[in-house]
Amino acid sequence: MSDLRLDATQLDRYSRHVIMDEVGPEGQKRLLEGSVLVVGAGGLGSPAIQYLAAAGVGHLGIVDDDVVERSNLQRQIVHGDDDVGRPKVESAADYVHRLNPDVSVEIYETRLTPENVDELAGGYDVVLDASDNFATRYLLNDYCVLSGTALSHGAIYRFEGQVTTIPNREGSDGPCYRCIFPEAPEPGTVPDCATTGVLGVLPGTVGCIQATEVVKLLLEQGDVLEGRLLLYDAMDMSFETVELQHNPNCPVCGDQPAIDSVGDVSYEHTCTIDAD
Amino acid sequence: MTTATAIEWKLFADLAEHAGTRTVTLEIDPETDTVGDALDALLEDQPDLAERVLDGGELRSQINVLRNGADVRSQEDGLETQLEDGDELALFPPVSGG
Repeated sequence: MSDLRLDATQLDRYSRHVIMDEVGPEGQKRLLEGSVLVVGAGGLGSPAIQYLAAAGVGHLGIVDDDVVERSNLQRQIVHGDDDVGRPKVESAADYVHRLNPDVSVEIYETRLTPENVDELAGGYDVVLDASDNFATRYLLNDYCVLSGTALSHGAIYRFEGQVTTIPNREGSDGPCYRCIFPEAPEPGTVPDCATTGVLGVLPGTVGCIQATEVVKLLLEQGDVLEGRLLLYDAMDMSFETVELQHNPNCPVCGDQPAIDSVGDVSYEHTCTIDAD
Repeated sequence: MTTATAIEWKLFADLAEHAGTRTVTLEIDPETDTVGDALDALLEDQPDLAERVLDGGELRSQINVLRNGADVRSQEDGLETQLEDGDELALFPPVSGG
């Protein structure tokens, strides 16, 4: 840890953190020195970016290749009406700059691919998956397992959310996303938000849980959702925690993994290894 | 003597839409029935759901089965797991929305 000191403004800004034993000035320094890549500046990414920035996570990367559409504004609260038509990464970065000058933002207006994932995600302490498609989700899982990068997974469907945390610490034996779901559904099997609709506040809840997990990872405090999948149902207002275990046959983190590079995998279909 | 008792299936995400309902209650025989039997009974009258979760008659690897919150594949005996009265079963798929 560097000799980063909290200045008077920071002591004021983060006073509700600093006063708690679990955070304190040391924990706040960890947050200020922490770096998180948020993949997707949409429904999940919006609240995650807001709370990570407010918490003083010092280095945020934001990846998204979309522009803001009016139909996004019902849930993607980092963007405003004036942002329609702008790249989401720019709108999100502006939000962060207005909120907290302590946070530096790196924006990547592109789609994550096996070719660029290392360049974009390499060096970040934690990756927060707020993407909206299986190709990106499996790519991030595989990359984070292979590179030993902590990953927060969150995903939504209409009124339901799924959250888990994959710390990928050395020697950890928790499951990865592929242990739970070895391969992606055939494209078109699971309809997307545009087809099915989504309750606007749903990603708010799920993205905030992801931000909570990321803050705990950076602070090295508490118990994260390692080996647990949280299933949230907004209609029932129920949270169910499912215990999950490492799958020895997992294609990426099992005993004899078939995937040893993201280049092995065809992410356009069921996210499995190319037949050839 | 066998006594029929009830178990409940809960269906997550798009599986509920394929079934047209989020919960299904079934009568089972706890003396003999397994999770696999309850799955067969669930899918018997649900061709849409069966097509979504089965591939060549086998449960797709991405569809998870829970019994009372425990993953039957990693924590129990998979579809051979013996049922007990009042069990809550669940089927959940991955979702990708963000």
